[in-house]
Amino acid sequence: SPGPPSAPADPAAPPPRALGPPPQGSVGAAPRAEARPSAAPCPEQEECSVSADTVLAPLRAALDSCRATVQKQVCNDIGRRLTVLEDAWAQGKLSAPVRKRMSLLVQELQQQHWDAADEIHRSLMVDHVNEVSQWMVGVKRLIAETRDLPTGE
Amino acid sequence: MATYLEFIQQNEERDGVRFSWNVWPSSRLEATRMVVPLACLLTPLKERLDLPPVQYEPVLCSRPTCKAVLNPLCQVDYRAKLWACNFCFQRNQFPPAYAGISEVNQPAELMPQFSTIEYIVQHGPQTPLIFLYVVDTCLEEEDLQALKESLQMSLSLLPPDALVGLITFGRMVQVHELSCEGISKSYVFRGTKDLTAKQIQDMLGLSRPAVPMQQGRPLQTPEQPVISSRFLQPVHKIDMNLTDLLGELQRDPWPVTQGKRPLRSTGVALSIAVGLLEGTFPNTGARIMLFTGGPPTQGPGMVVGDELKTPIRSWHDIEKDNARFMKKATKHYETLANLSAANGHCIDIYACALDQTGLLEMKCCANFTGGHMVMGDSFNTSLFKQTFQRVFSKGYNGEFRMAFGANLDVKTSRELKIAGAIGPCISLNAKGPCVSENEFGIGGTSQWKICSLDPSTTLAIYFEVVNQHNAPIPQGGRGAVQFVTQYQHSSTQRRIRVTTIARNWADAQTQLQHIEAAFDQEAAAVLMARLGVYRAESEEGPDVLRWLDRQLIRLCQKFGQYNKDDPNSFRLSESFSLYPQFIFHLRRSPFLQVFNNSPDESSYYRHHFARQDLTQSLIMIQPILYAYSFHGPPEPVLLDSSSILPDRILLMDTFFQIVIYLGETIAQWQKAGYQDMPEYENFKHLLQAPLDDAQEILQTRFPMPRYVHTEHGGSQARFLLSKVNPSQTHNNLYAWGQESGAPILTDDVSLQVFMDHLKKLAVSSA
Repeated sequence: SPGPPSAPADPAAPPPRALGPPPQGSVGAAPRAEARPSAAPCPEQEECSVSADTVLAPLRAALDSCRATVQKQVCNDIGRRLTVLEDAWAQGKLSAPVRKRMSLLVQELQQQHWDAADEIHRSLMVDHVNEVSQWMVGVKRLIAETRDLPTGE
Repeated sequence: MATYLEFIQQNEERDGVRFSWNVWPSSRLEATRMVVPLACLLTPLKERLDLPPVQYEPVLCSRPTCKAVLNPLCQVDYRAKLWACNFCFQRNQFPPAYAGISEVNQPAELMPQFSTIEYIVQHGPQTPLIFLYVVDTCLEEEDLQALKESLQMSLSLLPPDALVGLITFGRMVQVHELSCEGISKSYVFRGTKDLTAKQIQDMLGLSRPAVPMQQGRPLQTPEQPVISSRFLQPVHKIDMNLTDLLGELQRDPWPVTQGKRPLRSTGVALSIAVGLLEGTFPNTGARIMLFTGGPPTQGPGMVVGDELKTPIRSWHDIEKDNARFMKKATKHYETLANLSAANGHCIDIYACALDQTGLLEMKCCANFTGGHMVMGDSFNTSLFKQTFQRVFSKGYNGEFRMAFGANLDVKTSRELKIAGAIGPCISLNAKGPCVSENEFGIGGTSQWKICSLDPSTTLAIYFEVVNQHNAPIPQGGRGAVQFVTQYQHSSTQRRIRVTTIARNWADAQTQLQHIEAAFDQEAAAVLMARLGVYRAESEEGPDVLRWLDRQLIRLCQKFGQYNKDDPNSFRLSESFSLYPQFIFHLRRSPFLQVFNNSPDESSYYRHHFARQDLTQSLIMIQPILYAYSFHGPPEPVLLDSSSILPDRILLMDTFFQIVIYLGETIAQWQKAGYQDMPEYENFKHLLQAPLDDAQEILQTRFPMPRYVHTEHGGSQARFLLSKVNPSQTHNNLYAWGQESGAPILTDDVSLQVFMDHLKKLAVSSA
């Protein structure tokens, strides 16, 4: 019966005896939401078996190809951050989604899909900043410098 | 007739304009009798996916006092290559490039479907956008860490050639020199002493540029790049060093003793930011982004002292004239806001703290410049983190939504004048034949400057009909308005968006029914609301409510059908029928009812209300309520206590909050765990449906709303209960009789009582 809103119910108390169960079957309310595409292109729940080297080796190779034209200090800075990444990976500090997306990023980089690699770096910064902030800016820079290399690389 | 609703909607989609009246009363006297002023909501940069910009300069009327842009309303003589300006009737020669035009070969700007058109006018080198971070270091460790990470993240979201700078502050203010060399240096200023822009520039070793420049044009003086590079560097060069610098930021080292607040020199920090940008890059798109975790407690612009036992001012304090620092602080920030706006730079305020931070005093910084105002509990919340990410969001075409340095110029045909604008802008004091002597909002001008805007930024513009009574209107005569917005696109290109509209004049004495039918009650409600809220900022609250009520009664007297002194006979036509309800909810809204909120909260709500488009503004005035139940698909329901039923889930969107409320029975079923039983899977779906719909809003809206999930009897249910129309209260409980709905404990009048009073007053012959 109508009355002023009562005090919050004791969570341990069972519902009143008069309460029956909800209706069964698909009556009425179908969920409105359309299927939402997941952010990452691959399921991140499954165990990620990407090895550190499949990611680090191409990155270091890209860095090497930059050393001829890019300022020494910048290269060293990038190199330093790649080492931070390597250490974090080895110590198991990176979550599966981060490792998975890094392997995708490296693939895009190797195929010279600069914008795609950039997008992945951005999505990692946005979604996992606390895991990646120390070294990701080095990867970002590496993409930018590799992209600008004289053609033929 | 194909209803005016379609007409209104099509025009909004094409031109980003909603007028209160779409058939205009042809004399000044009749226009004032309409009660609701002739006004429009304009979204200058409305997203138009189907409108590719043209790559040439607009053709202008040659009369120096006119300079209207060639548009579809102009008469054209294709043979003689002449066009007649529809505003001043000047005959103009087409430029040589238009030699080939004809009836079958029209330039885009003459075609009716291009009543809104965009021109790209700048090519070649452009000044980059600038982002100057001004960061409070008097934060708790966790908070500071979260903020640092958000700032580091944002470096990846900036345009790569943008310039960035960093100022940190606490008791002192530090301007960081950004360099790629090893050692980082900074200039330290005392937080207690205010400095002029010139002093700041001298102390930082800058010199004022000699030549005033147009927004967005490249700098002329060759030494500029060298001078400015110390404090403002391109992201692509400085990102690694700045990431490290941000990572190493420490809490303000000055100890804060028990019972004290940290010494926070926000006023000086902002002064320095404004002065720095003025001295290096005046007149180009720039954001000063202030991140603060508490109120300014020392120096100019301080809002409260450092003793915790003295609380920060409340509305009661302000009413009793007991807010010591308010006037002086407000003046300090207003001076800065005006200076920044004059330089074309916007100021954003990201304020995250459990207590107030001084938004009341600092609001002009965001409001005059078009900067953002974000209010949260802590930087370590998804509300702040996600809202901040959305500052850098891109549109469907992959371009940043943010735009800068807009100059809005409004022209009218001679029967109209411009009374003013309300929105995130400042006046450019452009006098001329179009400018009315009566001021509504920011008046006395036909041009305003909006330093920062995006595709949703919406201004309210108020007009005055100046035609004398009984002056003849030409048969089929139309009035016209042209909105010309010059701005700096995020790509740093200069662009010009031109919208030209026309509406029919009508004689109110003989054709009132046409004027009535073309009334846009939604636009009218928002336009009146903006006026009301604008007045509330300077007048006493009750005066504004009385004014609103008076206007509503007059409107009902004019346009209602009724027999004198017979309230039961009162009717409003369809185009007016929702208007009283909007006003009812507006009167109860946090924009006009301030005592339930802190002064900072009121300032925050009002800030967003003064710039959102019509749809969002209506949500703010009259929140939307959706009901989810087993009785049918989800549906919108009345914002009324009778909509609160035990076997329903409600989703309420107030713009600022998304509230999910479980009815009593639903809550009990959930407690009993039915959603986990496979045979009751549809109950699980029912619980999930509003969550999914809420997510759609939470993931896109700027700023991200507060998410409240509550149920019958929950303490947070008050968010819902305070908004719904209290049709059932403890006062009328037994008169109601039926067992439906949840009564609200309040003495507020319900919509029914309000309407009863309104009808009585409207029909009264007294």
